[in-house]
Order: sequence, then C-alpha cells, then structure tokens
Amino acid sequence: MTDAGLVNSLRSASGRLLIAGVAGLALLALGVAGLVAPDSTAGRLFFVLASKSTLSATLRLSVPIVFAALGGIFAEKSGVINIGLEGLLIISAFSAIYGADVTGSLWAGFFVGILASTLLAALFAVVCIEFRADQIIAGLAVWLIALGLAPFASSVFYGGPNTTNVGTLDTITIEGLASIPFFGAFFDASPAVHLMLLAVLASWYVLNRTTFGRWVRAAGENPKALDTAGVDVSRVRYAAVLLSGVLSGMGGAALAFNIGQFTGNGPTMVNGKGFIAIVAYLFGNYNPVGALLSTALFAGLDATQLRLQTADVIAVPDSLVQTIPFVAVILVLALVGRTRLPEAAGDHYESGEE
Amino acid sequence: MSGDGPSTDGDGPSTGSDGTLDAGDDGDRAPDAGGGGSDDGRWDAARRRLVRLGQTSVGERVLIAFSALVLSMAVGTVIVLVAGVLATCRDPALTIGGSTLCYDPFFVFDRLFLGALGDPLAGGWSPLNNQFAATLRETTILVFTGLSVALAFRAGIFNIGTQGQLVVGALASALAVLWTASLVSGTLALVTLIPVGLLAGAVGGGFYGAIPGALKAYADANEVITTIMLNFVATLVTRYLVRNHFADPTSQATQTRTLPDAGQFPAILFDPRTDFSILALLLALAFVGGVYYLLEHTSFGYDLRTAGIQPAAAEYGGVNAPRTVLSSLTLSGALAGVGGALFVMMTLGKFQTGIPSYGFDGITVSILAGNNPVGAVFAAFLFGVLKSGSNVVSFATNVPPQLVGVLRGLIILFVAMPEFFRLIGRRLAAGEPESGAAVTAGGGADD
Repeated sequence: MTDAGLVNSLRSASGRLLIAGVAGLALLALGVAGLVAPDSTAGRLFFVLASKSTLSATLRLSVPIVFAALGGIFAEKSGVINIGLEGLLIISAFSAIYGADVTGSLWAGFFVGILASTLLAALFAVVCIEFRADQIIAGLAVWLIALGLAPFASSVFYGGPNTTNVGTLDTITIEGLASIPFFGAFFDASPAVHLMLLAVLASWYVLNRTTFGRWVRAAGENPKALDTAGVDVSRVRYAAVLLSGVLSGMGGAALAFNIGQFTGNGPTMVNGKGFIAIVAYLFGNYNPVGALLSTALFAGLDATQLRLQTADVIAVPDSLVQTIPFVAVILVLALVGRTRLPEAAGDHYESGEE
Repeated sequence: MSGDGPSTDGDGPSTGSDGTLDAGDDGDRAPDAGGGGSDDGRWDAARRRLVRLGQTSVGERVLIAFSALVLSMAVGTVIVLVAGVLATCRDPALTIGGSTLCYDPFFVFDRLFLGALGDPLAGGWSPLNNQFAATLRETTILVFTGLSVALAFRAGIFNIGTQGQLVVGALASALAVLWTASLVSGTLALVTLIPVGLLAGAVGGGFYGAIPGALKAYADANEVITTIMLNFVATLVTRYLVRNHFADPTSQATQTRTLPDAGQFPAILFDPRTDFSILALLLALAFVGGVYYLLEHTSFGYDLRTAGIQPAAAEYGGVNAPRTVLSSLTLSGALAGVGGALFVMMTLGKFQTGIPSYGFDGITVSILAGNNPVGAVFAAFLFGVLKSGSNVVSFATNVPPQLVGVLRGLIILFVAMPEFFRLIGRRLAAGEPESGAAVTAGGGADD
C-alpha cells in the first residue's frame, strides 16, 4: 500500500470512529437530558429515540437498503461496481406488487419481484462483462431504465404511476418478548426484517467462509490469480452480479409490501435508497454486518425524522427534516473519504485465451 | 467506487487500483495504435483510463449514437407491443392474427417523431408551428443540461447533480428577478431583469455544483453519490423555501409569483402561447460556442481535459487538481443553473416545484454526444423531439408518456457498450482487418 493509500485508510478509519463517536455521544447527551429534564426538548427527543416504535421504524426502513447493500457488496467485491442498485429496487418493487396482484399471493409476488430484479441485473452483467461497457454508465442506465419502465408499466396496468394496494405482509409477533421495551421491536416485526437479519449473517458467511466467497473476493482483488487457478473470472462475476439482483429484488419486494403498493411519481417510492445502500456498504467497509450497522444509522435518522413529524417535538418544517438522511449520507461520505475498493473493481478482465 | 474519479487520484493510474472511470478498457490491445506523438508512452495509460466515449472517432461516435438510437427504438417497439398485449382497453389500436393490441407501436413512433416536428410530411408545414416550437423549447433547456454534464465529464467527473443544480438555479433566478423587479421599472427593467435572472441562475447553480466539487476535491467524497443526494436535498429545500417563504398567495400550487413581462424571454416569430423564445435558443448556441472555446482553446480547458484524461500527468504538469475539480463542477453547475433560469424565464414564467427531469436527460444528451459540446446540440434536439413528442403521443394514443423515460435509459445503455456494435460490425464485415486501430487513432479529438 502506498503512503497515500495508508493515509487514506487511516483517514477512513478515523472518519468512521469520529462518526460512531459523535453518534454515541449525541445519544448519551440526549439520554442524560432525558433523565435530568424529561420535559426539555432534548429529553423528549430522547424518549422518541428510545421508543420501541422508533426501532421498529428503523428496522423497517433498513430492509431495502440493507438488501441492496448486500447485493452491492457481492457485485463490487467481484470487481463489478453496481451503481444500478436503485434501479433494481425500483423494478422489483413494482414487479412484486404486480405479481402479487396477478397471482393473489404476496409470497408469489415476492418471487416475481426477485425475478424481475435478477433479469435486469443479468442485462447489466452482460453489458458490463460481455460488452465491456463502462460500469458506472451502465449502472446509471439500469437506474434510468427502471425509473422509466416501472411507472410506464404501472400506467399500462393501473392507469397511473401508482398501483392498487395488494396488502402487506403480516407481522410476526412473539407474545411476551414483544413487550420488552425498545428491543421488543425485533420480536414484533415483518418477516422481511427477519429475512434481512438472516441475509446479513448468510452473506457474511458466504463471503468469508466459503469457496465461492473466496472466488468472489479474488475476482475483485486479483483476477489473474483466480484465472491461473483455473476458475473462470467472468462466471464468478456473473454469479456475483446476479446475486446482487436477487438480494436487491428481496429488498425492493419487501419495500413494496411494507405499504402494499408501488408509487411511481418522481423518484418513485425507492427515493434514493439504492444510492444510500452504496454509501452504507462503503461506510461498512464491504462487511455485511458493517453495512447493517451503517444502514441502521441512516434508517435511524429517517425513522427519527418520521417520528419527529408526528411526535411534534421540534417544530421544523417537514421538507427540511426530510433532508436529514440525505445530508447524513453526504457527511459520512465526506468524513470517510475514499475507501479502499477491490483492486480490480471497475476493470474489465479478459483471460488470455481470446 | 468511493471517492476516486481520476482527477484526484493520488496513487498513480498505472496501478489501476481505482477504476471508477475505467472504460472497461481495450487499452491492453489498442494503445499502440494511438495518436502517434512522441509522448506515446506516457499517454498509453491515459488512453486506458479515458472514458471510452471520448476515445472514439467522430465518425464512429455518430455511428454508435445512431445505432444505439435505432436499437432503443427497436426495444421500445417490443415494449409497446408487449404492453399492448397485456393492457386492457376499450378500443384496440391494432389486431395481429386474431389477438388485439391496445397500442400500435408504429403509430406511437410516428406521433413521437413527426408529431414533435409538427407533421412535416403533411401539407402546409411551417417551421413556426407550435409543436415544433415546443420541441425547440425543450431543446434549449437540454442544451444547457447536456453541456453541464459534458463539461464535468471532460474533467473526468460524473455530475449526476445537474438536476439539483438546475432546480437551485431556477429558484435563484425567479427570486432575483422578482426582487429586482420591485426596484426597477420601464426600460431599465427591460434591460436588467433578464441578465439578472441569468446571472442569478448561474450563481445559484454554480454554488450548488461547488458543494460536491469541494467535497470531492478536499474530502475525496465520490461525486456520483454526493450529487445524487444533493438532488434530493435541492428538491426538498426549494419546496420548503417556496412553500414557507416565497409562495404565491393567490395559488394553490407550490410556486412563486409570476415574473413581470420584462423578466420573461420575449416570443419572437413563434406564437407566444408556445412559451418558446428564439432568443433563448440563440443564447444556448452561444453557450455551446463558449464551452467549446473554453475546452479546446484556453489553458483552463487544457488543464481540465488533462485532469480528466490523465490526472497524474496533469498534476505533474503543474495543474492544481483539487482546484480543477472544484472549478469544473462549479462551472458545470452554473451551466445547469442557466438552464434552470431559462426554464423559469421562458417556459414557466415562475418557479414551481416538480421541475421535469432535464438533468437526467442531460446525462443522456451528453453521453449520446460523446461529451462534445457541438454534438450536444444535436443530441439535445433529439431529446427535445422525444420530450415534446411524448406529449403528442399521450394526446393521440393511450400509451403512457413514461415510454420516453425508458428510451432515455436504453439509449444510455446502448451507447455505453460500443463493444457490442463493434462485435456486430466485425461479424458483418468478416474478413476485414480489426477495426481497433482505426478507432483509437481517431482519439485525436481529445489530444
């Protein structure tokens, strides 16, 4: 690693520490204020934050971001920067609703969503791996295609950018555990939340403990060595990109079933979650658990702003409060700066055989 | 993919460790065919890192753009056909082999293109017709967003925030004109309001472009993400400002008061109801010339392009990389801001939330034009046709106007994969020598 690289990683590490520290201190200060002066603004803010419903909302809002981030980790670790995660979320959110509407089953719709996202990811993979397109531009194209296609399809089938409501997934509630303060949210949540936690652990295991995970990492770090070892780099990359489609598809479908409807006006209901996911995994240093934690930060801020709007703690106009998660993403990116991405990410790899 | 556009690259590009802008390189086999100057060696790496689109010759670029367009239309046709089969409607537009289709793709494209031009094939066509005016109106704004994206792209920066910069520029322009109008009147208003509006748009957009510029230059924050995030912030903050501080009390919509006539571009030749002013189009063309001159004939433009192609060499040659990043994004934002000012002073006559996605179209315009300012005029016209044609389509058929959004993405996708067309070209011209050499030799456009 060069000096500049070292400086960068030190800065990234200190940036991460700084953010974690500031977040921790802020919570602590609010906690103290909550104990000392429960009626002050800070005190009431603490009780909003420490409530079970805020954690519930955080988990709910995390689902699409975490799934997309996990997908992004696989793709980027394998050497394909998938900036089109947003598009995968959009297409799967719509397809899941449409599938559920046609089949009458939410879980069937869930799989339709995954299928649509995987197909779009496959297109992206072919374009990047086979036709050596610039990955950033192709990723933007995936986003813009989905941004046009989903509202288009919605208008075809439902006469407008918003679909009908197909209902939401039933929450899984474990009596007793659900009434634990704050952490009870884990036991009173949509199955999508549990699926997300499972996916984080599974992704970590696959990436770090399996042969496939080793191949994925090698395809991104040192494709030549992988090639020499007799593993087809392109196939590993295809698999990783398809996997990012599957995971993002789960995220998009879960997002749609959260409210039971796809809304396609403007930036659609996905509203930047795919891009936030990218920052989440960069901030989490390509670690699935890290991605979960950094997502919790962004989603937690989002949950807080939603709660602030209803709880009437601080009188800040909605539009301004809604900027909080986006501004947080920018701040995190500025503080962490450049992260060390896989050595061969963004590069096309061509085995010597051609 | 974090903060490493090529222009702040400290590690040196030869390591290839920071591939954000790597154009899926054919650098391994083609660079020897490059420009042929004495400094070939140093520029080999540059060519490898150069965004592929800028690497191709003008001829090939036009061919690729054209092929991408045709292919997008073909895919669009399939989409319309499939949608036509799946949709349910009262009176089908087409019957093929017993099954009825709700949409007729040929009629859709007929309306999209001929409709946008005001039906040139029908008798009595005049270039001053209202639909053609609408097309030129859209073109005018798209020239600016296309230039904005292209300028940043040439510096090696992905400015996806053109949309946000346009929105901020639009609001700044509306507020500046309204405020100035309260101070001046008569002839003075006639000569000051429009320049003030344009300047405010440029300053607003430039300021909003400077934010991701500074973040990239001094904190290594990746501009793709920061600019996208800032788009969301721009929408929300302008909505807050208009709703809470500058609302038109007489309107239900979230909008400012209407600008005085002196603050709006006058309609000349064309029907005033079309909201198109030929003056604005001429201004856009003047900016095209300006940006072209800036890029190709000034030392700043040279620095900017070098930073885009070969950041290490640029720094070695004394270019202040962070400052180049900052000034390119500021300029890029200013161009978008002028586009926003025109949207306010020509199209709407006021600021209103929910500005159309000119910024995202600008990405396609720039990519289609190979980031060339002059090419951007043609690409902007094409997109002007698509945007204005989509209104004709939704008037004449039940095909959702979002179709144009799909085409926008498809065009980017196809332009991004020149290798696909090369492959087809090679298949078609089997037996002819590999075209790679001819391709890169044309890279001289960027030298």
